[in-house]
Amino acid sequence: MPMVLLECDKVIPERSKHIYLKVEGEDQRDFLPISNAATIPGTLSERGCAFCGAKLVIGGVLKDTIQMIHGPIGCAYDTWHTKRYPTDNGHFNMKYVWSTDMKESHIVFGGEKRLEKSINEAFDEMPDIKRMFVYTTCPTALIGDDIKAVAKKVMSERPDVDIFCCECPGFAGVSQSKGHHVLNINWINEKVGTVEPEITSEYTMNFIGDFNIQGDTQLLDQYWKRLGIQVVAHFTGNGTYDDLRAMHKAQLNVVNCARSSGYIANELKKQYGIPRLDIDSWGFSYMAEGIRKICSFFGIEERGEKLIAEEYAKWKPQLDWYKERLQGTKMAIWTGGPRLWHWTKSVEDDLGVQVVAMSSKFGHQEDFEKVIARGGAGTYYIDDGNELEFFEIIDLVKPEVIFTGPRVGELVKKLHIPYVNGHGYHNGPYMGFEGFVNLARDMYNAKANPLLKLAATDIRGAKSALKEAAE
Amino acid sequence: MSEQQVKELFDYCQVRYLWQFFSRSWDREENIEGIVNAANEMFHGRVVKKHTPMERLFYADAKEMVKDFRENFPWLEQLEPTKITELLDGLKAMLREYTITKSLNHELNHSLY
Repeated sequence: MPMVLLECDKVIPERSKHIYLKVEGEDQRDFLPISNAATIPGTLSERGCAFCGAKLVIGGVLKDTIQMIHGPIGCAYDTWHTKRYPTDNGHFNMKYVWSTDMKESHIVFGGEKRLEKSINEAFDEMPDIKRMFVYTTCPTALIGDDIKAVAKKVMSERPDVDIFCCECPGFAGVSQSKGHHVLNINWINEKVGTVEPEITSEYTMNFIGDFNIQGDTQLLDQYWKRLGIQVVAHFTGNGTYDDLRAMHKAQLNVVNCARSSGYIANELKKQYGIPRLDIDSWGFSYMAEGIRKICSFFGIEERGEKLIAEEYAKWKPQLDWYKERLQGTKMAIWTGGPRLWHWTKSVEDDLGVQVVAMSSKFGHQEDFEKVIARGGAGTYYIDDGNELEFFEIIDLVKPEVIFTGPRVGELVKKLHIPYVNGHGYHNGPYMGFEGFVNLARDMYNAKANPLLKLAATDIRGAKSALKEAAE
Repeated sequence: MSEQQVKELFDYCQVRYLWQFFSRSWDREENIEGIVNAANEMFHGRVVKKHTPMERLFYADAKEMVKDFRENFPWLEQLEPTKITELLDGLKAMLREYTITKSLNHELNHSLY
């Protein structure tokens, strides 16, 4: 089966290069959707912008860093508190939002002075905070504000502060993915190697591409502590600015989200000789495999086996309870990119769930190679899907539960199909053994919720106690 | 060694292991060569070198693969050591073909990450 042209795409036939239906006997050598390409005019994309990829996904996670957004207020507001990444210091990153609040006159006369004033104001208001990210946005990039010069001036006047500039305006790339890339590469080139960490264990690693969504990082940290492994830096879940400057001192880079953070792992290998180990942190068998590999690297296999045995004993019976009830469920995954390939086989192996459609907002062809290799025949693989396509795919494959974000989630709820928040989770964490039970529970609760049937019942004209009372 | 046996191992690898899908062709080549060679040493009962960080990484990945292969493909234990080497050479060739030489991924040979 070649690439698919959906009915709704007849007027934009280029979309057929982005949608693939796998059939038995085919593989990723035969067909691979175009991805990380500009959205086609006429399609209503679900993507975010490049700035969002840098700020909302990576930088904004840090727990000790002011995120100064040099632009109109909307760029700040729309990338604040829409992600659920708590921290162990009272959620500093989610409580506050910072912006230079650029208005028309600042665009006309330049915004550098306003930026300098805003940086100083923020540091003055928060005297305990000494670290800052400054981001350009579309308008301040277009007028050519030199944010690095401003940051340099402030740092010369305030020697106790350190500022990282991320010059990645929204228009810089086709999706969030460009922001991931710019932040990764600039960070390693400008900041890694500027702090020497205190090493407290014989075994050290960086954990890359975890964003502590509803506590993912904190859950996995319990494992690393039990294994006696020091995590030098988390990129960036529950992480600190200075930890990330010390990434060069770890012995191993363990990568979860290869899409948003693979770049820095590659560069750490190239520049510092630190090996990169990619793992899947979702799902029982994958998580166990990841732990085994990490422990084999350090020569502490017995500790790993003990941990896995303890976790299986505690959580596997619960997982199996859900598996019994979820077996055969048809699921769609419409998220950013990596969760397609992280999840498709783990839900199949651990829960007996069949993934029938997957859509990626910002995945690259590498992500589609992985997901087509792991995913089943009869499944649709979509790049940069739009609403009409989602509706048509639903008709074609009839998913019983959809893991996606709140925007698309609200759409599918109107079709009385349950959705689970695939980005921020419903009731996470979802990583690790305990986490995957949480995922199973949320999937089961979504699917078994009796309100779904009630919501689908048209009660107009029916007699009810309320109606009678009203009459 | 039969093509069917190579294909069985390959299909298992495709579903399971992320190391074959690293960002660039040279990363994939390095992983395929390093990990499958380390696996070959293990099947022959030889000590795998773990002097450098990369050797330790290949050891860690290979160890899981060998365990998985032994669990899922019991016929492997019946093969002569030379046949296992041939089989793993066939696996390497197939991995290279699918993930490097015939890959449709346009970013594989970009000089930068």
